[in-house]
Amino acid sequence: MMDPKTERDTIRRAQQGDRDAIAELIKSYQRPLEAFLFRLCGKSDLAEDIAQESFVRVIKSLDRFDERFRFSTWLFTIGKRLLVNYHQKMRPIANSEMVQYRADSTNTPYAAVEGVERGERISNMISIALDALVSPQREIVLLFHQQGWPVERISKELKMPEGTVKSHLFRARRRMLTAIELSGVPTPSEVFQ
Amino acid sequence: MSVWENDESDANAPRGRGEFSMRAQRMLVRVLLALRGEAKRSPDSDRDNRYDSLRAEALADRIMLEFPRRVLPLGLAALAALVIFCSLPLVRDAIGQGPVIVANTTMTNAVESGLRQRGSEMSDGIEALKAIVVPFTSDDAPLETPAPIPPFEATAPFKSS
Repeated sequence: MMDPKTERDTIRRAQQGDRDAIAELIKSYQRPLEAFLFRLCGKSDLAEDIAQESFVRVIKSLDRFDERFRFSTWLFTIGKRLLVNYHQKMRPIANSEMVQYRADSTNTPYAAVEGVERGERISNMISIALDALVSPQREIVLLFHQQGWPVERISKELKMPEGTVKSHLFRARRRMLTAIELSGVPTPSEVFQ
Repeated sequence: MSVWENDESDANAPRGRGEFSMRAQRMLVRVLLALRGEAKRSPDSDRDNRYDSLRAEALADRIMLEFPRRVLPLGLAALAALVIFCSLPLVRDAIGQGPVIVANTTMTNAVESGLRQRGSEMSDGIEALKAIVVPFTSDDAPLETPAPIPPFEATAPFKSS
């Protein structure tokens, strides 16, 4: 993630068509965005496609970007809308040319993590915990715990009071705990073996 | 860590209504930490970083392919505006300043014809003067030319004795 000043400078360069600045923006935000989308939809290929499409749309309309806001907020909003549109229409939205470059599945970061047994178990547990959440809670948990956004920023992005965000977080943690408890928690030795 | 070891015996036991086992709570912490790790680029993994860089570069290249198409109309519009701006004086001369040019041309022609007329009058005068002078310069009555004075006589203040 970039700090706000660097982000602003990079965006200005990207607005003028600086290819390196565009690559910097993509490199900084592709992993967080893909992780966010992956945990929303549960499919790494779909998350990757939608993340790429989000970057294409956002960078093509960079001249309309309002510098008072964070780039990541805008990017995540576009990504989320594209995902919602995908689920509504149930058809691929990404241009096949755009996704032409993709390494084989064994080269993805998820595969690298999931290759390890412990990673698999934790990953399964993440899925179990997140599956227990309903729509706004899931998004709030991801923005807060995965993306590290402060409550204030989440409340602005989702247009809900900070108290409501905190309440959702509290309830979401309890739901996740319940789900973990019901799934049969592995012993520490099993987890960290 | 010591707490982890100590309560392992009854870690799975729920703590009553609305409470959760320590093990579940620890697992939730692990889950949330792992969730956080998904969004971060791992500084140790060169492979992941290289993979991310390659994907970013490839996507940037693809976006740049479409970038000129967006910039081109703007560039053409700017070029057209520049051409119009630069040709404004010519257009103004051609449209707004037309009578002035005609007047200027007329004045130039008048001056030029005046000068030609004056030139012909002058040449006529010269011809007239030549006609007066010619009889005196004819071979029959050559003009008396003064005898050349030697230089030393011309410059000497006194006659030589």
